[in-house]
Amino acid sequence: MDRHPYFIQSYCIIRNHTIAINGHPYLAVEHTAPLHDFLRAAYRQLGIDYPKFYKMDGLCKAIFIAVELMARASGPFENDTALVFSNYSSSHLSDSKHAQDISDEANPVASPATFVYTLPNIAMGEISIRHQLHSENVFFIFDSYLPEFLVPYSHAMLDDGKASSIISGWTEVTAKRCDVFLYHVGQAGHIPCTVEHMKRLYQGQERK
Amino acid sequence: MKADVFVVGDQLVTPLGIGSATNFVQLLDGRTAIKPVADTQLSGHRIHAARIDEQAWLNKISRPQRFTRLEQLFILSLQAMIDEYRIPLDRSTLVLLSTTKGNVALLHRASTAFPPARVHLPVMADELQGYFGFENRFVTISNACISGALAISVARQLLRHHDGYQQAVVIGGDEISRFIVSGFDAFQALADEPCRPFDRDRKGLNLGEAIAGVYLSKTPARDAVRIMGVGSYNDANHISGPSRTGEGLYRSIAEAMREAGAPPLDFISAHGTATRYNDEMESIALQRCGLSAVPVHSLKGYYGHTLGASGLLETVLGIHSLKNNRLIPSKGFMHQGTSQALNIITADHGDTVKTGKQPDAPAQPLRTFLKTASGFGGCNIATVFQKA
Repeated sequence: MDRHPYFIQSYCIIRNHTIAINGHPYLAVEHTAPLHDFLRAAYRQLGIDYPKFYKMDGLCKAIFIAVELMARASGPFENDTALVFSNYSSSHLSDSKHAQDISDEANPVASPATFVYTLPNIAMGEISIRHQLHSENVFFIFDSYLPEFLVPYSHAMLDDGKASSIISGWTEVTAKRCDVFLYHVGQAGHIPCTVEHMKRLYQGQERK
Repeated sequence: MKADVFVVGDQLVTPLGIGSATNFVQLLDGRTAIKPVADTQLSGHRIHAARIDEQAWLNKISRPQRFTRLEQLFILSLQAMIDEYRIPLDRSTLVLLSTTKGNVALLHRASTAFPPARVHLPVMADELQGYFGFENRFVTISNACISGALAISVARQLLRHHDGYQQAVVIGGDEISRFIVSGFDAFQALADEPCRPFDRDRKGLNLGEAIAGVYLSKTPARDAVRIMGVGSYNDANHISGPSRTGEGLYRSIAEAMREAGAPPLDFISAHGTATRYNDEMESIALQRCGLSAVPVHSLKGYYGHTLGASGLLETVLGIHSLKNNRLIPSKGFMHQGTSQALNIITADHGDTVKTGKQPDAPAQPLRTFLKTASGFGGCNIATVFQKA
């Protein structure tokens, strides 16, 4: 049961080569464009100078963009804003790349720049640096987006006073597909943070 | 008032043996699992590492060919816990699985009997759940090298906030693979000798493998240990290097101690990977917390760095230290080697509770310890455990 007075302060969906912030379209590109190009186009549209972005893998890039847009909508974030992320394939994008690097017949060499991204929580580290968040980070691995777990988990953290607000959601990024749904939950906002609302938002059926 | 959560059982599968009591005795005898390893499957050159011998668990589980090596180790460990503690498989039991890299070795094996999806953690979790018939799906955490320690904290929160959960199994494990070795090599983080945490001449870490588990309950059993406080904070400084000021670890320890009611600590089980920067960072964080005089060890000199399992492994051994009132020496340490001096537990003082700073102190029971862990991505965690 959802009995806590917590609300969605902003949310971002990156899916099918489109980005929407609080239900409003931000960017859409050709479906045929490679993921890489799509995320770069989004970065350029942000109009910021953050060269570290180019070093990130696809998972980090997508999360970086979503959180950047959310910061504009409901930021700046308090520095105790916790991060509770989840996905299915962990850091599979970079894992595959590293596995390929070290299996290369001609030149089997590992790259530190790739290896560092073979951890899903690196994205939370990137976000913490960018937004100066000194907070708790947890990365869960689930079969699919699981608001039945994430919503009560976030509420418990807020109830315990371990964070003033939380950025949480689903961050599945593979070579073929980007399915990112992140939301900023706290005391302010209009959409109640309930399992039902979060399901509908994820499916794109509710607008602010 | 929220329910207390207790550690009422534990289990280890390591290169030093199966069973946590067995492992504890081996440490007091000064045995290390770290050896020179020349295996072309892992690396083109010899490394020092602590690996679990295949013979140790062969024929101990049913239908092993259906499971990957790592899964077999998880099964072995879970089976031992279920048998020993008569753990219910129904909805009252939550299972948390923590691993840094899981079945990642499948990615670079030329031929494998397993489908490609087996590399994904939810698939592995479901296989393990199905093997035992747990009613709840596993909750899986992958948070670099703090995975295991963080899973204890997550389990505690879930137990406290859900009336339906009465107990939780928290299990963590990782294995050494070419994937891992090549990556740490690329970072030049591996020592070409047994590692020396906190020592002046430390050269880097050794990789290790272990499966470690704790059994948590809202009901204190005999010999239970209470989880008194937890803090977990990101450095917000660098994704692959520790903060120079130890900011995240400092905040984590401060929060864990605040929640625990600032109890006197009998010892600290540090992360202590034996890399130059990590150990230095920890000494700074402990100094900032005013804890430099507390006896401290790193267990990496016995097991190497077991990645996601390390926090759980070292928590289990810390608990055995409490129960036996014996401090475990920090293997590999000879000379102070951090800018902030630490009270490292040495072999000379290992069989009593005496340490270098209080050579004549009378032996007294150990009651409380602090476990810390840090990882890539700037993550840190600190947890205070106390005899219930």
